[in-house]
Amino acid sequence: MKRAPLVVLGSALGLASVLQFHTAPASLSLTGLTTSAGSPASAATARPPTPTTSTSPSTPSLTPGREQGDGGTATTARPPTPTTIRPPASTTTTIVSTGSRSATGPLLNYYFGSLSVNANVTGSKITAVTIGSLSDGGNFRSQSIDAMAIPILEQEAMAAQSSNIQSVSGASYTSAGFIQSLQSALTKLGL
Amino acid sequence: MTNVDALGPPLESSDLIVHHAEDVMGTIVTIDVYGPSTVTPELVTPYLSSALASLHNDDSVFSLWKTDSPMSKYRRGELDLASAPDVIGEVLGACQAARELSRGWFDPWALPGGTDPTGYVKGWAAQRALHQLLGAPVHGAIVNAAGDIASFGYPSENEKFQVGITNPLSPSEITAIAALDGCVATSGNYERGQHLLDPYSGDFCTRVASASVMGPDLGLADALATALAVAGTDLLEVIDELSEFEAFTVSFDQQRHWTPGFPLISLAAQD
Repeated sequence: MKRAPLVVLGSALGLASVLQFHTAPASLSLTGLTTSAGSPASAATARPPTPTTSTSPSTPSLTPGREQGDGGTATTARPPTPTTIRPPASTTTTIVSTGSRSATGPLLNYYFGSLSVNANVTGSKITAVTIGSLSDGGNFRSQSIDAMAIPILEQEAMAAQSSNIQSVSGASYTSAGFIQSLQSALTKLGL
Repeated sequence: MTNVDALGPPLESSDLIVHHAEDVMGTIVTIDVYGPSTVTPELVTPYLSSALASLHNDDSVFSLWKTDSPMSKYRRGELDLASAPDVIGEVLGACQAARELSRGWFDPWALPGGTDPTGYVKGWAAQRALHQLLGAPVHGAIVNAAGDIASFGYPSENEKFQVGITNPLSPSEITAIAALDGCVATSGNYERGQHLLDPYSGDFCTRVASASVMGPDLGLADALATALAVAGTDLLEVIDELSEFEAFTVSFDQQRHWTPGFPLISLAAQD
């Protein structure tokens, strides 16, 4: 299972942010998003001023017969800037404990079976959310759905706290079972 | 499966009134409806029901899992276009257009086993479902079909919908956030293993880890995202030339590229 670091400030708000996609106090996550002014207009600042050719060294050459791009339109991502995130607004941080601990929520039914969610926490910081156990009854289709859905369930829970995002493109699933089990796990941890 | 989740009051700044997840089209489709607090979920129910019926109906026509679906029969040559539901001709016509627009990189006719418009149908069906919500007394809605998103309106006053784009190399993370301008589809091989075909070489492969295409039509965005994932970053320029379509890719070495008009809000820092 993937581990994604994520910070939740405000113990009481931590869980609420998972469930309610709350953003302000739960600043951050995942990996630190550069300048998120929250407006499409800010997109311009995220791009280098001069368009450059997009071809990456790792990109295999394309099959002859189609038009080769020769620069100009696509732009290259700016090198990662180690920055953060919008400052938390009037955060009430309560450190419950400084130790690392984890808890697993109860097995709950989801669409194609049942699962439990495990949360690892250090202090009031969630360090990982993973699937504790999974039962899908051995159904082939269920297994294929699991393979798609589980990483996305984790990611969606993380994404919910990262910013004001309404949805995720790539693959996105919302599971009430996942959220409920996560809630229980966090409750056990005093978050 | 009917499962209207009461997630409670969502964001303070948002007005999510209905969150629904539906098991359809071999995956899970979520529908989120945003409106003023005066609108109860019950007022949205008829529109939601129509949207779900639209998804199931389109699935019943186009599913290749269901061997007796009209599309399966057409594929086996047991049904000709004249006797098939009109939507099959409509979709195949749109696929033909998508093949031309993508310079042949999206090609439902190159797939083994016969014509397979699935790369277009999922987005197309999600968009049709969204249309069923247009008459609801709400100010915005999102239909998310396994990562392919159709939307109209806004989540709350003075806000725009924003979407995260999954990091294909670490799907529990987000690699970028963008303003959602209509629809966005993302394709890549990370979700379901190797399933994208290079119509030129005949091999299953992609040249970027994931490709996202944003635009006014989710069916075409879906097809173009598939084409872009297979063709790689050179196709960005082709998509950039299409009016109202923008694109974003993540390479296997984590490099991200996008067309100048892609409404990027932020990029995740990389390790």
